[in-house]
Amino acid sequence: MSGDHSEPPADPLLAVEDLRTLIRADRGTVRAVDGVSFAVDRGEAVCLVGESGSGKSVTCESLTGIVPQPPAEIVGGSVTFDGIDLRAADTDRSAIRGARIGHVFQNPQHALDPVYSVGDQLVEAITIHREVDEATARERSIDLLGRVGIPRAAQRVDDYPHEFSGGMAQRVAVAIALAAEPDLLIADEPTTAVDVTVQARLIDLLRGLLDDGMGLLLITHDLRVVAALADRVLVMFGGTIVERGPVEAVFDRPAHPYTQALFDSYDGTTRLAERPSRDELPADGCRFRAECPHAVESCAGGEQPGFHTVGDGAGTDDHAASCVYYGDGYDAEVIQSAGRAVQQSATGDDDD
Amino acid sequence: MTERPDAEGEPLLAVEGLERHYPITEGWLRREVGRVRAVDGVSFEIREGEAFGLVGESGSGKTTLAHTLLGLEERTGGTVRFDGDPVSELSDAERRSFRRRVQLVVQDPNEAFNPRIRVGEAVAEPLALNGMDDADRRQAIVEDLLERVGLDAADTDRYPHEFSDGEKQRLAIARALVVDPDLVVADEPTSALDARVKSDILALLEEVRREFDVSLLFVSHDIDVVRRFCDRVAVMYLGEIVERGPTDRVLDAPAHPYTEVLLDSVPSLDPSDRSLVRPLTDTIPDPADPPSGCRFHTRCPAVVGPEELSAATWERLASFRFTVQTGELPAAIDLADPPDPATIRSVFDLPGTIDDEAIAEGVDDAVAALADGDLDRASERLAAVLPSVCEQQVPETVTVDGRPVKCHRHDPAIDAEPRPE
Amino acid sequence: MAAPSERPRFERVDWSAVDATRRTVTPERTILAVGLLIVAALWLYDRYVAHVYLVAEWAVAPVDWAVMAGLVVLTAYGVVPAVRNREATLRVASAIRDRPVLVAALCFLGGLFVVGTVLPLVLGRPELNFGYVYQPPLGFAADAGWSPNCAGEIRQGTGIQRYCEGSLQAPLGTNGRGQLVESLLVSGARVAIYVVVFALAFVVPLATAVGVTAGFRGGRLDDVLRTYVDVQLCIPAIFLYFVGYMYVGASLALLLATFGLLSWGPVARLVRSEVLQRREDGYVVVARSLGASDWYVARRHVLPNVTNTLVPAVVHLVAILIVAEAGVAFLGFSDVELYSWGSTIAEGLSPDRGTAHQVWWVSTTPAVALAATVVSLKLVGDGLRDVLDPRGEH
Repeated sequence: MSGDHSEPPADPLLAVEDLRTLIRADRGTVRAVDGVSFAVDRGEAVCLVGESGSGKSVTCESLTGIVPQPPAEIVGGSVTFDGIDLRAADTDRSAIRGARIGHVFQNPQHALDPVYSVGDQLVEAITIHREVDEATARERSIDLLGRVGIPRAAQRVDDYPHEFSGGMAQRVAVAIALAAEPDLLIADEPTTAVDVTVQARLIDLLRGLLDDGMGLLLITHDLRVVAALADRVLVMFGGTIVERGPVEAVFDRPAHPYTQALFDSYDGTTRLAERPSRDELPADGCRFRAECPHAVESCAGGEQPGFHTVGDGAGTDDHAASCVYYGDGYDAEVIQSAGRAVQQSATGDDDD
Repeated sequence: MTERPDAEGEPLLAVEGLERHYPITEGWLRREVGRVRAVDGVSFEIREGEAFGLVGESGSGKTTLAHTLLGLEERTGGTVRFDGDPVSELSDAERRSFRRRVQLVVQDPNEAFNPRIRVGEAVAEPLALNGMDDADRRQAIVEDLLERVGLDAADTDRYPHEFSDGEKQRLAIARALVVDPDLVVADEPTSALDARVKSDILALLEEVRREFDVSLLFVSHDIDVVRRFCDRVAVMYLGEIVERGPTDRVLDAPAHPYTEVLLDSVPSLDPSDRSLVRPLTDTIPDPADPPSGCRFHTRCPAVVGPEELSAATWERLASFRFTVQTGELPAAIDLADPPDPATIRSVFDLPGTIDDEAIAEGVDDAVAALADGDLDRASERLAAVLPSVCEQQVPETVTVDGRPVKCHRHDPAIDAEPRPE
Repeated sequence: MAAPSERPRFERVDWSAVDATRRTVTPERTILAVGLLIVAALWLYDRYVAHVYLVAEWAVAPVDWAVMAGLVVLTAYGVVPAVRNREATLRVASAIRDRPVLVAALCFLGGLFVVGTVLPLVLGRPELNFGYVYQPPLGFAADAGWSPNCAGEIRQGTGIQRYCEGSLQAPLGTNGRGQLVESLLVSGARVAIYVVVFALAFVVPLATAVGVTAGFRGGRLDDVLRTYVDVQLCIPAIFLYFVGYMYVGASLALLLATFGLLSWGPVARLVRSEVLQRREDGYVVVARSLGASDWYVARRHVLPNVTNTLVPAVVHLVAILIVAEAGVAFLGFSDVELYSWGSTIAEGLSPDRGTAHQVWWVSTTPAVALAATVVSLKLVGDGLRDVLDPRGEH
């Protein structure tokens, strides 16, 4: 159990409880996802923030079981989508993928098959899950392209992926993900490979979808994208969630030392530290302790530190951090003052 | 980000009117039918010990510019002077020296190294190529250098795949430094890296710059990084530099509308501020056929309009005009089955009344043409009644705030009210 | 630990003092130059002074000179670099050791090389011996009436049928002219090795050179080369061979020239395609920015990383050439004196005594040798590709 966490709202669209996924490589077994719990509501955007190796992509691929097993293996926890247990052996996950949960990946040119037209791929996405005649499916494809902002959709529906620029191709990928009208969209770094002006449009698009009631689980390493889209934030490190909370709270006062380090790097005050590689991270206790300036003995050993509420938040949307300093017997002020300093310098002179 | 005092004498690198065009040919005899103007008349200077940023999106030509400076691409026009001497007039020995004094760090650390060669040898390769035959001496230099960039001397025996991205980028920087260059061209050196590693690498570059007095040409699309690292910056769009100057001035008080759009498209780190600016149209124009006059005019929120119109009216009409011109019609308007004029007017949020009769007539005509599915006629009518100096004339480079900007709005010779402050 | 002031630091290098002239003298080039000079000297001697008899009465033909030059090329650019990069060679060697099939195939080819180059010098031409024709191999028997003499025991069969048994004098039997099948195998091996050496020393480098040039230079040169290759692929080599045959007569040199000149297209295309793909890889761009020549970049950075496609293609080319030579010989259009496997097989299938089945050893033995050679080549190609695969190392 990952410790205390706030009661999720009644009937969340997606509820993940203590998910654990291993990846078995030649050099050993990596606990890529090590006890992750969170929930996503309809119409809510939850951002999963972390660096490469933090386990954020594996987490999302484990939800619908698309992570390749082997070498990975989902070994524990539960994933409940709209009341359906996604980990149960008798659940038809392929019926849910696409139809109820859509996926968007980082590099659009990889997600699109270069030998089929965009229209063909959209029709395929639509008809995989439903009996729809071709004409209707084609109409719906054009409609989808328009919805994601592809101009002259009726003409471009027969174009091939290479005829679209990066930004347009990513929108096509979103269109395909939306084809079967899913309730939840899982987007893995959708804005990373595109220009900033295109990113602005994609953010608009995603906001529109949220307004339509879709749930969004967005993975990113870019805090600015989080600021632009998220309702709630989950910060991941070493396969565990180390901080979570409403976006304003987390950005206003980053609580966990790792989150603080992330914000720190936006401002540029950093030192040439030796960072341990993914394989060298501890597999117990607080995974961040090797780099944490405030680490103490109790950071090591056992499960990751329990989640403690930060500040005086009460209610269901707590801002909580998995750090011993926020529990009993420690002075949270140590971390918090560091957090305030970071926050001021990072977001302080960012006035647009 | 300190403003460096003017170095005495020549700047290290002086680029003037640099062009790199790619001919588009047809037929076996390769008849030229057009040109892709990847770099079209770029001028700037880099001083000794300075970090100069080159910002732009994909299609801006910044990577082509970097490659042309290094000699990887052929210059089709303009001059490049290194340390005062034009690069095209160098003797063989001088050219070799130039190649040694300007080095490259590429974007993707995963592709920066030959997977079959040990990193020690890879980092030593520039030494060998520049004539240092003594293998032991090369090895010693490389080992020393690796330690200084934060790695181990023993790492020379390892292969690239044994290193993390950040470490590989350190190796790439070491390789660029090993021949003691005067200028390092870094093409998006941190774009593929995580936030904290990015920070580390930037700190390393900063240290390198200070300790060895190396100039840096820092090509990037990441404004955060440029703001943090560069003394001066140039903003590129479709092969041209639209604005350049000291970083804090350009990024805090942008003069060119494209710079503004670029900066405002970057989401704020403050979650309560969710405003985002978008350009007028989405499509980045084709570099082989850029817009006439000012290349940015089809997407410019500050495009200069007819003086008869108020700013608010012109804004909506400009959006209408350029959207129709590029053919980027929104989904609601399908040319095969167009809606009625009233719908069209509401989709484009056209003002109910337009003061100038001729313009109002033209707009009505255009709307009617669209309702008939005739995109070309609509485009023609709008172009006729809504002319803009931005599309008719190539902007002069004017000085704003002590720095060069290429925009009609700042040109005192052009009547373009209101002016930005 | 050297004191800091003595440690070589990159910023202290006095570049004006470093001699930046390109090294023109490399071990490879030295060996190549020396080797070719020796061959040229021998040739001049042979031409103007006296015949150089590599073996009694067996005059050296042009094709022999070509192959000697080819061996020099292979030594200079194959053996010498392997010796210089001892460590890489050892790594490859130990990877090979783990693959018994590859080892077997390499041993076969190695053995074939020795048999093909050394044994002909020792044994000379297969000797005619009309007294002992169609002798069966050891352990088998043939109709004694075919041959005036029998090297082994003569056994009585039913009626007037008498059988000649195989003997150690002719362990693999003899053909219709009394020539030992072993020496026919040896001479055929010589031809096969000639094909291999010629292909590897001349055809493959030509193909690679064209591919690299076309890939790096692009533009009109690329267009011209590609057009040429396209045209070349349309010309059947055997047709050109026949045309040459009408004028020059049968000769191995002609065969190597025609087939060699017309078969390098696919490899060139492959190399060009790989070069185009890798041109923009980070480390290639960096090497080019350092001012390295296209050749250096290709040799050091591109080719070693494209072995996955290149090695099987090259091996395939060699195999095709061997089979082509055998085919031409089988059809009877090659120089009989070469005694290549193809002609021996053809002989064995239309003997002047008995039926092909009855004198099976004449055709079967060289057919087995030919098959084994081609199979070994293919196995070596696949095996080397696996061994050199960059991804396999991680």
